Amino acid sequence: MFRLNNTSMFRSFFRAPLSTATEAIKSVEAAAVELDKLYKTVQIELRGNDPAVLTSFVKFATTAGNYLNVQSHSWHLRKPTHTRFTVLKSVHIYKKHRVQYEFRTYYSFISYKHLTESTASTLLEYIERNLPEGVALKATSVELQQLPEYLLEQDPEQFTDDSNKVSHV
Amino acid sequence: MEILNYVKKLEYLQLTRNLNKCVLTPILRCASIASKRDHNETETDDFKPLNLRHVKGQSNIRRPMRKIDALPPRTQQMAIDQDWGSVWPGPRTFHPATVPLPLRQGYVKKGETIPNKYGNAELMKIPNFLHLTPPVIKRQCEALKKFCTPWPKALDSDEKCEKHFPIEVASSNYCHSSPSIRDPLSRIITVKLRLSSLKLDKHAKDKFLRLVGERYDETTDILTLVTDRCPTKKQNYDYAMYLITALYHESLTVEEWEKLKSEADMEYYNWNDSKSKINVEKIFGKESKNISHIDEYSESISNLMNEGKQFFYLINLYA
Repeated sequence: MFRLNNTSMFRSFFRAPLSTATEAIKSVEAAAVELDKLYKTVQIELRGNDPAVLTSFVKFATTAGNYLNVQSHSWHLRKPTHTRFTVLKSVHIYKKHRVQYEFRTYYSFISYKHLTESTASTLLEYIERNLPEGVALKATSVELQQLPEYLLEQDPEQFTDDSNKVSHV
Repeated sequence: MEILNYVKKLEYLQLTRNLNKCVLTPILRCASIASKRDHNETETDDFKPLNLRHVKGQSNIRRPMRKIDALPPRTQQMAIDQDWGSVWPGPRTFHPATVPLPLRQGYVKKGETIPNKYGNAELMKIPNFLHLTPPVIKRQCEALKKFCTPWPKALDSDEKCEKHFPIEVASSNYCHSSPSIRDPLSRIITVKLRLSSLKLDKHAKDKFLRLVGERYDETTDILTLVTDRCPTKKQNYDYAMYLITALYHESLTVEEWEKLKSEADMEYYNWNDSKSKINVEKIFGKESKNISHIDEYSESISNLMNEGKQFFYLINLYA
């Protein structure tokens, strides 16, 4: 079901100079024990002031996803958000005359489905390194986890309490 | 007579002096310069005499400006089947002589032609993706593939994922140009738990839902916990898992005071446990099963208690 975490192994080799052979073996063992996390989705939110740049970047990111065998789909917000602020035209008087400035922020979204931790970190690193200037990226990853064992097994003491439990509803 | 001669002599002298001053001296000087120049040319050509008194006619000979011919654009020498990835390997501002495309860009008035790529600021302003052409992306992804692992085939559908992994932990990372690489919003952790995966009996589930309150969604059977009170992501995750554990074990325990739960504290009205049933039985003097029309009566009573005296509900019921 799981594969070894390739990137973490890769990282652990190059992290710090290892003084002894035993230490090196230990580090490799630790890396071998570490399992890949599973990500249900990795959703990427892009913000920028130029819609053309965003569409190009989305095209790049989805193409990269296809080559790495990751399902993806993308969408855009139809309208940008306008953040406006109004200031006096003059330095400090003539209150009737004002100028208005505005920021237009365009939004794009990409959603990757079903990634392992190695794939997700590789893909995200690749995409983030190629992020053009003036574009902000937010990557939300949804990790899948099993129920911890201490929630699966019930306390035997609590089962004994059931006998004198009052019937509820 | 003598005096006159003397004066004439003087005048003549003066004239000759004037003549000497006006005509002879420059001629002599020119002659000397010419002779000097001839003399110099024979020895060294480059040495110029320092001439402090500017004399008309003498001008410095200017050297002609050496023209540097611009090379023809690189695009003319490019092969058709060249490797574009090595021509434009990284992100770079647009350069007209390197990009072999007949591009035009810019806003013009009606009837004018859009300016071409040479000296076009509009093309240089916008960040381009010329370093990320599909073959380049493919090549780079092929190199990156060795760091990737495939998704397990046993978990191909969402239902299987939900069945085996009932907990979903969501968190965000931010990448933008700001002075700090640490975004405070990245500490927030959202944990979603499918409640049916926990083994809870009737009492425990009731207590769990009462403890959780608004965080449980009945339609999807999902409990959502958002933790953002700790400064780091790890701490917030640990806190969320602690909360789930504490909620689970707390809901399993039965406290002494829970036995004091009265009819008013119930989650919903159950006619069989209610005082209404006892009263009806007392009036008729027999068990509720044997009373005629008792089902309709109990149903409408419990509907009224559970749904409330909503106008439309009552209309639908009795209309």
